[in-house]
Amino acid sequence: MLATTRRAVLKGAAAAMAAAPIGAFAQGEPLRFGVLTPLTGAGGQDGPRMLKAMQAVIDEVNKAGGVLGRQIETVVEDDQTNPEAAVRAARKLIEVNKVPVIMGTWASAVTSAVAPLCWESKTFLCTVSGADSITQLPHQGYIIRTQPNSKLQAYAHGEFIAGMGKKKLAVIGIQAPFALATKEHLDAVLKTKGGSVVAHIIYEKDKPTYRSEVDQALRSDPDFLYLNGYAPDTVVVLRDLYKANINLPKFCQSYAVPQKTLDAIPAEVSAGIYTGQPSADIEGQAFKLAAARLGIAEPDSYEAQATDWASLVILTVARAKEATGVALKDNVRKISQGAGTKVYSAVEGLRLLAEGKQINYEGASGPCDFTDIGDIEGCRFRYMQVVDGKLKFLKVA
Amino acid sequence: MAVLQLILNGVMSGTILAVPAIGLTAIFAVLRFTNFALASHMTIGAFAGFVANVTLAWPVLPSLLAAFAIAGLVGLLSDEFILKPFRATGFITTAIGSIALTIALENCVRLLFGNELRGYDLPIRRDWVLGGLRISPQQLENLAFALAAMAILFAFLFFTRTGKAMRAYADNPMLASIKGINADMVARLVSFVAMGLAGLGGMLIGLDTTIDPLVGFKTILSVFAAAVVGGLGSLPGAVVGALLVGVGEELSLLILSPAYRSAIGFLAILLVLTLRPRGILGARAY
Repeated sequence: MLATTRRAVLKGAAAAMAAAPIGAFAQGEPLRFGVLTPLTGAGGQDGPRMLKAMQAVIDEVNKAGGVLGRQIETVVEDDQTNPEAAVRAARKLIEVNKVPVIMGTWASAVTSAVAPLCWESKTFLCTVSGADSITQLPHQGYIIRTQPNSKLQAYAHGEFIAGMGKKKLAVIGIQAPFALATKEHLDAVLKTKGGSVVAHIIYEKDKPTYRSEVDQALRSDPDFLYLNGYAPDTVVVLRDLYKANINLPKFCQSYAVPQKTLDAIPAEVSAGIYTGQPSADIEGQAFKLAAARLGIAEPDSYEAQATDWASLVILTVARAKEATGVALKDNVRKISQGAGTKVYSAVEGLRLLAEGKQINYEGASGPCDFTDIGDIEGCRFRYMQVVDGKLKFLKVA
Repeated sequence: MAVLQLILNGVMSGTILAVPAIGLTAIFAVLRFTNFALASHMTIGAFAGFVANVTLAWPVLPSLLAAFAIAGLVGLLSDEFILKPFRATGFITTAIGSIALTIALENCVRLLFGNELRGYDLPIRRDWVLGGLRISPQQLENLAFALAAMAILFAFLFFTRTGKAMRAYADNPMLASIKGINADMVARLVSFVAMGLAGLGGMLIGLDTTIDPLVGFKTILSVFAAAVVGGLGSLPGAVVGALLVGVGEELSLLILSPAYRSAIGFLAILLVLTLRPRGILGARAY
C-alpha cells in the first residue's frame, strides 16, 4: 500500500525519462532494462545520480543505433532504501515488465532481499552493495557487483587507520548486513599491526539521538572511532560526539558524509573526519568519457559504477546476441575481462563486436574483472579529510 | 550514574515525543480515529521551520511558531477536504486514508525540497556536565519549548470556553451538540492544534539532528507507541506514555544491544494492552 502510492508518484518521472531518448534508428520492440535504485531514503542522494549515469550511457547507445537493432528503454522503480518496498518493486519489474536485468540496488539489506527473486526468475542483478554475504548467496552467477566487498574495504580502511599509528578502534555502526563482517575484518587487519577493535556498537536506524550508544563505545577508551553508518544516522552520531566533547579522530565511509550533508551540519561537528571510498579509476579513459557524458568534472564512484553496469549489460547483450538474464550471466565475463581489445565505452565496444572482434571492457570504476562469485578482483581507494566543512583530497591508494 | 544518565536522556527524548503524541491522542479523542497523517505534518512543520529559520533567517522561537502555524493550517485543510469525507465510512477507512494522505504530503515536501539532509541555522553547543551528568543545552531548550507548548495547550483546554467545548465534545459528542457546541468547529480546531503540535514536534526533533522528508515517518511509530501506552484519547496519558517509551528505550540499553531499541516501544504496547487494555490513563480526554 505504502509503496504503491510512492511508486505511482515516481512513475511519471520514470516514464518521462524512459520516453525521452527514443530515437528513430532502430527497429522493433525496444529492450527494457530494469532500474531499481533508492530515489528516496538513506540512499536518496546516490540513487538519482546513478540513474542519470545509466541513462546517459543508454542514450549514447540509442543515438548510435541501439543494440541488436533495438532501442533500449529503462523501467525505473524506487527501492526507497527499504527491503520491503524493494521486493515489491522488483516483483513488478520481473513479472510485469519482464526485464532481463535489474541495475542499481544500493543498500545491502535491499540487495539481500531482492537477490533471491532475481536468481529464481533468472534475472541479472548489478549492485553497489558492499556486504560480503551478498556474493556468497547461492546466486548461480546472476549477481555482479562493482563495489569492493566489505572485506576489501575494511582491509583498506584498517591499513589506513593503522598507518596513522592507532591501536584501539571503536566501531559504531548501523544495523546492516555488512556491520559484523566489517568489524571482524577491521579487527583482523589491526591485529596484524598490534592493535584491535576494542568496542563494537550496532545501533538502530532512525533514532533522534545516539548519545547513550556513544557513551557505551567510549567506555573502552578508544583512540580512534570508525563510524559505519549512513548519512542520516552518522550526522546524529557526529553531533552527539561533538556535544559530548569527544575529540577523537574518526573515519566514515564517504557515502555517510557527502558534501551536501556536510553543508547541512556545522563545520566544527565534521572537522577532521577521514573518509574513504572505492576510487573510480580517475586516470582511466572510461572515467574521462563518463565525465564528459555526464557533463561533470569528477563523477564519483557510484556514477562510475552505474556507467559500468549499463555498459557491461549492453555489451553482453550484443556479445550473446540475446537479452535474457541467462545470456547475461553466461556471457558477461566474455566482454569484461580476458585478452580482447580494451574498450572504454559501450558504443566503442559495440562497434568492435560488430566487426567480430573480442573485447575487454575497462570501466570508469575500475577494470571490471569479476571473480566466479561476481566480486571485482580489486580496486583503489580514495581518502579525503573534512576541513572547514569541505572534503579535501588526501590520496588514492 | 550510568543509569541516571540513561534516565535523563530518556526524559529528554520522551518529552519531545510527547508533543506530537498529544496531537495524535487529541485527534483520537475528538474525531475518533488515529490520524497517521501526523507523520507528514511533522515533516511539514520541520520544513516550515527550516524556511523560517534558514531562508528567512528568523530566530528559533518564531520559527517554531511558524512550524506550528503552517503544519496546523495544512492539517486543518487536509482534514476538511480529504479526511472528513472518509469519516462517515468508519474508523479503519479513515485511518487508512490518513496513511495515503501522509505519503502524498510527504512527497509534496520531497518535490519542493528534495531528499537532502538539511540542518537548522543553529550554533551547536557542547554538553554541560552537572554532577557527573551530561546535559545538552539544546536538549534542555527543546525540553523547555516542549513543556511550554504543553502548558499552553492544557491552559487553553482548561481555562478557555473553546477549550472546554473541545473537552466536552471529546467526552460526549451527542450531549455536547445538544448543548449547542458546533461539532465542525471543534473538529477544525482540534485538527489545527493537533497538527500544529505535530509540526512543532517535527521541528524540535530536527533542531537536535537534521531533517529530510522522512523525519515524521521515522518517528511516527514511537509517537504511536507513546499515545497507545498512555491511553489513546488521554492527553496526560500521551505525556506519560512518551516518557515511558523514551526512558524505556534508553534503559533497555543496560541489557540489550542498541540494535533492539525500537522493540521496547512495542513491548511496552503489548505489556500495557495486556494488563490495561485502555492504556495507562484510560481513554478520557482530561
